[in-house]
Amino acid sequence: MTDNNTNHDSGAGAEGPDRVIGTPSPAGESLAGATATAHERRHEGPYPAVETHPRPEEMQRKGEKLAALWFLVAFLAGIGFFVSYFSFPPNAEGEPAIADPQTAQYANMLMGGTIALALFAIGAGMTVWARRVMPHYEVSSPYDELPSSPEEKGSFSDFFMQGAHESGFTKRPLMRRTLLLAMVPLGLAPIVLLRDTGPLPGDKLKHTMWEDGMRMVVEGTDRLIRASDLDEVGGMVTALPESHDPEHGLSLNDQAKTVVLLIKMDPADFSDEMTQQQLDWTHDGIVAYSKICTHVGCPAALYEQTSHRILCPCHQSTFDAANGAKVVFGPAHRALPQLPVRVDDEGYLVAAGDFSSAVGPTFWDAEKGD
Amino acid sequence: MSTTPAPKALRGLGNYIDDRFHLAKTGEKNLRKVFPNHWSFMLGEIALYSFIILLVTGVFLTLWFNPSMGHVVYDGSYERLRGVGMSEAYASTLHITFDVRGGLFIRQVHHWAALIFVASLVIHMLRVFFTGAFRKPREINWLIGVAIFTLAIVEGLFGYSLPDDLPSGMGVRIFQGVLLAIPVIGTYLMMFMFGGEFPGEAIIPRLYTLHILVIPGILLALIVAHFMILWHQKHTQYPGTGRTEKKVVGTPMYPAFAVKAGGFFFFTFAVIAGLAAFVQINPIHLFGPFTPTSITSGLQPDWYMGFLEGALRIFPNWFDFTIAGYAVPMGVLLPGLGGMGLLFGGLAAWPFIEAWITGDKRHHNVADRPRNAPTRTGIGAAGVTAYGLIWLAGSNDILSETFSISLYATTWFFRIAIILGPIIAFIVTKRICLGLQRRDREILEHGYESGTIQQLPSGEFIEVHKESSPDTVHVLQSKPPARIDIDSTDENGVEPPSGRGAKGRLRARLAHWYTKDNVSFEGVRPHSGHHLHHGATASEEESVKAH
Amino acid sequence: MKWITARRRHPLAGYVVVIIALAFFGVGYAFVAPNADRAQAQTVAAGSEEAPVDISNGKQIFVQSCASCHGLDGKGTENGPDLTGVGAAAVDFQVSTGRMPSMNPDVQMPRRDPVYTEQEILDLAAYVDQEFGGGPAIPEQAPGLAPQRSDFEDESEYKAAKEQYEAAYEQYIAGGDTEAGMKLYMTNCAHCHSWSGAGGALTDGRWAPEIHEATPREIYEAMITGPGAMPVFNDTTITEEEKQSLIKFVKDLQAEPDAGGVFSLDRIGQVAEGFIGWTVGMSLIVACAIWITAKQRAHD
Repeated sequence: MTDNNTNHDSGAGAEGPDRVIGTPSPAGESLAGATATAHERRHEGPYPAVETHPRPEEMQRKGEKLAALWFLVAFLAGIGFFVSYFSFPPNAEGEPAIADPQTAQYANMLMGGTIALALFAIGAGMTVWARRVMPHYEVSSPYDELPSSPEEKGSFSDFFMQGAHESGFTKRPLMRRTLLLAMVPLGLAPIVLLRDTGPLPGDKLKHTMWEDGMRMVVEGTDRLIRASDLDEVGGMVTALPESHDPEHGLSLNDQAKTVVLLIKMDPADFSDEMTQQQLDWTHDGIVAYSKICTHVGCPAALYEQTSHRILCPCHQSTFDAANGAKVVFGPAHRALPQLPVRVDDEGYLVAAGDFSSAVGPTFWDAEKGD
Repeated sequence: MSTTPAPKALRGLGNYIDDRFHLAKTGEKNLRKVFPNHWSFMLGEIALYSFIILLVTGVFLTLWFNPSMGHVVYDGSYERLRGVGMSEAYASTLHITFDVRGGLFIRQVHHWAALIFVASLVIHMLRVFFTGAFRKPREINWLIGVAIFTLAIVEGLFGYSLPDDLPSGMGVRIFQGVLLAIPVIGTYLMMFMFGGEFPGEAIIPRLYTLHILVIPGILLALIVAHFMILWHQKHTQYPGTGRTEKKVVGTPMYPAFAVKAGGFFFFTFAVIAGLAAFVQINPIHLFGPFTPTSITSGLQPDWYMGFLEGALRIFPNWFDFTIAGYAVPMGVLLPGLGGMGLLFGGLAAWPFIEAWITGDKRHHNVADRPRNAPTRTGIGAAGVTAYGLIWLAGSNDILSETFSISLYATTWFFRIAIILGPIIAFIVTKRICLGLQRRDREILEHGYESGTIQQLPSGEFIEVHKESSPDTVHVLQSKPPARIDIDSTDENGVEPPSGRGAKGRLRARLAHWYTKDNVSFEGVRPHSGHHLHHGATASEEESVKAH
Repeated sequence: MKWITARRRHPLAGYVVVIIALAFFGVGYAFVAPNADRAQAQTVAAGSEEAPVDISNGKQIFVQSCASCHGLDGKGTENGPDLTGVGAAAVDFQVSTGRMPSMNPDVQMPRRDPVYTEQEILDLAAYVDQEFGGGPAIPEQAPGLAPQRSDFEDESEYKAAKEQYEAAYEQYIAGGDTEAGMKLYMTNCAHCHSWSGAGGALTDGRWAPEIHEATPREIYEAMITGPGAMPVFNDTTITEEEKQSLIKFVKDLQAEPDAGGVFSLDRIGQVAEGFIGWTVGMSLIVACAIWITAKQRAHD
C-alpha cells in the first residue's frame, strides 16, 4: 500500500478490531482510512490524525490550473449571458424582439445555454478542486448515543411531573376541563369562517339554463343553427344556447354546463333499447347530448360516426350515441344527459326543456329528483 | 503541525458572532459532520437544490403573474393570439413569456425543476426504502419525507393549474370531478373550494395562495426539520471496513464535502437550466386559453400525477352503487382518493409494519444491502411495478396511438397487469435476492473465482478460488442473522403472552414469511485462500445444503 | 482493445457500460421511431388549373385501381364501401393523401405519397362524381398540394408555379379570424387530432391521424366528407369562411417555431416531458453525483 495508487476505501484492515488508529481528535474523530505503513505522513490539517492520501504538489498544481480553467469558462459564459440578454429586447424596444417565437427561441437558447454552461463550469471547477487539490481522507465520527441514560430520563420525568403538580394542572380538574372546553369553539372558528368561500350547492348542480324554446348556436361563431343545417348524416357540431348578452356572451360557468354535442345520424340507426321518450327528444335524427363527461367532467367529444361511439379523451369512458349515450366502456357510470330538441316555427333548432339528468361529474344527489 | 492564524477580518467577524451566540464549539462540531461517500447519498440533495431553484424562480414569476380569472381580450406582443379572449392569468403568463426578457427561460426552469424535484424525491425515497434506512431511529424522518412527497405532488398540481391554459384547466376540472364524487359533503366541498360552480372566478386566486404561500411554507418547514433530524442522527452508511453501528465514516463537511456539495448544487442547476434552454416544456402559448367546452386528445398531467390519471382510466365502473337514490361513484373515489391514500398511507405505515413483524427494536445505522432483506426488497419492487404500471396506464391513449393497439385492449392489459405485475415482480425480485445471498455465502466461504484453471496431480481440473479482500469479507459478513424467532417458546415450553391470540399468531406467521427463505451465514468462515481443493461442484453442494 | 481490457475493472466501468447502452437505445429508438418528416417531401404535380378534366382517363383509372373493391358500378363490395353520392371532394381527399388505392381494405390507411398526379386525381374525381351521383365538390379555393420540381421541365417554370402556389397559400392563410378559428378547432377538432394536430387514439385500434402534412384543401375536404370515423362538418354548420379561419389557425400553429427550444418533443407534451426529465435530467444529475463521489486513486 503506497501513497501513489491505493484506493482509499479498500485500505486493508483499517480500524480493524485489533488495531489502534490515528489520534482521536478532540471531537472524537479519527481517520478510518489510515494504516500504519512506512509511507504514511503526519497530516497537517484540521483533522489531527494520520493522512493517507495527500495530493502530490504536481497534481495539486495541475488541479489548480484545471479548476481555474473551468472558472474562467464560467466567467466567460456569464458574460455571454449578459450579451445574449441585451441582444434581444422586448417588443417595445425594437428588433429583434422576443415576441417573435423564432427570436424567442434563439434568446431562450442563448440565455439558457450560457447560464447552464456557467453553472456547469463552476460545478466542474469545484469538483476538480475537491478531487485534485484537497487531500483525500475519510474520518469516522461516532453516532450519538440515542436513548438518554435511565438517570437522565428519570430526572427529567421527576422534574416534569413536579412542575405539572406545582402548576395545579393535574390536581385541579375543573380548571383543566373548562380550559379544554373553552378551546373547542375557538378551534372550530377557523372552519366556520370558511363558510363564505362559496354558496351552498342547493340544486344548482342539477339544472342548467336550457329551457323550452331556447335556440342554439355553433360554439365559436355564435351562429344560430337550423335543423336543415345539419343535413348530412354523420354530421356533428358543438353547440351552446343563444346568448342574449351580445357583449359578454355566455359566462364560462354557463358554457361549462350547457354545452352540447349535436349529432346527426340516420334515424334508423337509433337502438331499439332507446325509450320512446328518448326518441321524442330527437329531431329527424338530430340528437343532443351533454358534452361534459359524467366521470370527472372532461368534454367527451370524440364522436365516431361509424360506430356511433362518443369517447372521452381523458379517461376513455365511451358512450353509445345511438342508444341514449349509455356507457359502453370505461370508468363512467351514468349515461350522458340528453337534451330534448325540437324545431321552432322558423326552422331553428331549439331545446325542448332542460337536460334529462344532472350534467357533469356524478355527485351525491345527482340521480335524486328535486 | 502548523497553523496559519485566521485573517483579521475573519477573526473579527467570528468574535462578533461568538460574543453573541457562543458558537465556537457547536460550530466546530457541526463543520466536522461526516458524510458517507456514495452517490446514492446525494439523491436527497438533488431535491433540496431543485427546491431552492423552485423558490427563487417562483419569486421571479410572481413579479408579473396575475392570478385572476377576469376576462380580457389579449392585446399583447404575441401576434398569433391577439384578439383572443382569455383570463388575466393566461394573458400575464403570455406577458412573462414574450415581453419579459428571460421570462420564458425562468418559466421553463421552474417547470423542469418541479419535474426534477419530485423525481429526485422518488429515487431518494427508493434508496432509503431499499437500504432500510427508514428503520429505528429514523422513522420520524421517513414520515416527514412522505409528507414532503405528498405536498410536493399537490404543490405541483396547483402550480400546473395556474396559467389557465387548456390542459391546466382540465386538470382543475378533474380535481373538481373528484371532489364532487365524495359522498355527502362532496358538493359542499366543491362549492366552497371553487366559490360556486365550475369554473367560477375564485379557483385560480385560491390555488395561487396555496401554491406560493401555504404549501411552500409548510414544505420549507418540513425540509428544515428533515435536515435537522438528519444532522442530529447522522447519515446511515453502507457496510464496509470500519463502518459500524457506532461510527460513521466519510468525508467531513469542512472543507471537502462543502466544496463537493456546492459543486453538486451547480451541477443540478446546470442540468435544469440546460433542459430549460433547449427542451420546450409546457408551451402554454401554443395550447391556447382554457375553455370548459374544449379538450385535446393526449391530455396528460405532469408525470407525478400520472399514476392518478392512470388509476382513473383503468378503474372500472363495476363498483359504483347508489344508496336510497344517492350516488356513490366508486369509480372515481377509489382511484382518485383511494389511490393517493394507499400510496402515501402505505409508505407512511411501512416502517412500523416492518418493525412490528420483525420485532426489531434496535437502532440501525448501517444500511441493509437490499439482497439481505429479500422480502422488503420484493415488496418494494412490487410497489415500484404497481406504480410504474398505473403510471403507464395514464398514457394508454399515447401507447394505443403509437403502437396501433386497440384502446380498450390497453385498458384491459393494465387492469390485469396491475394485479399480476406486482406479484411477479415480488417473486422474481425475492428469488434474485436469495440467489445473490447464496453467491455471497459462497464467495465468503470459498473466495472469489480467480479465473485460473489448475490441473491437479490426479488429472482433475479446478478453478483456483482466491481470498476476497478484507473489505469484501466485511461487507459480506454484515448480513444480519437469517431468521428472527419471535414465536419461540420459553424454556418451560410456554408461549410468551404476546404470541397468543389472533394478533400474535398473525405476527408470528408474518415473521416466518418475512424471513423464512433467507440464506443462513451462520458458521460460515471466510475463505483463507489456502485450500485449493474446493471445486465448483463442492461449493454448489454446500450452497444447496445451506439452503 | 487493450485500452478497454485495462479499464474494464475500473469502478466506473459499469456505469459507462450502462450509459453507452442507454445512448444506443435512445439513438436506436430515434431511428426506429416514426419520423415526422417522413412524408414531408411528398407532393404531386400541380396540374395546370386550366386543363380540362378528362373523364375517360378518370374512368380508366377507376376500372384499373378502384373497381376491384368498390365495384364497377360503384355500389361497393365486401372489400369497399358504396361510392354513391360521395362526391369529388371525398375522392380527392382519399387519393391525394395516398390513402386510396388501399392495399388492405381491413385496416385504417396512414397518409402516404399519392399514387396519381393531381391531374389524374381530378379526372378520377370528376368521373366518380358524374357516374355515381354528386356529393361535396372539391373546394378549389383552398390550396392543395404544392407543385413539385419533377413535374416541370425547366427550373423557371417550376419556380413560377411554386411562387404562384405560395402566394395563393399565403393569401388563404392570411384570411380568417384567429379567435373563431381557434374556438372551432378546439371544440370540434382538438379532442381527436390534439391541440397540436398530432392526432390521437380512437376505439378499436383506429386513430385520428396527425394533420401536419395535410394541405388546406385536404383539411377542408376531410371536414365536408367525414372520412372514416370522422364526423361531417358541412358548410351549413361551419361556413366556408369559418373553415378558412379554422385552417388558418391550424397552419399558423404548425408553422410557428417552438419558442421554448429546438427540442419540441414533437409537441407531445407532458408524457414526453416526464420521460425526458427522468431519462436525461435525472441521469445527468446522478452522473454528476457519481463523478463527485467516485472512488479515487491518488493519481488518475
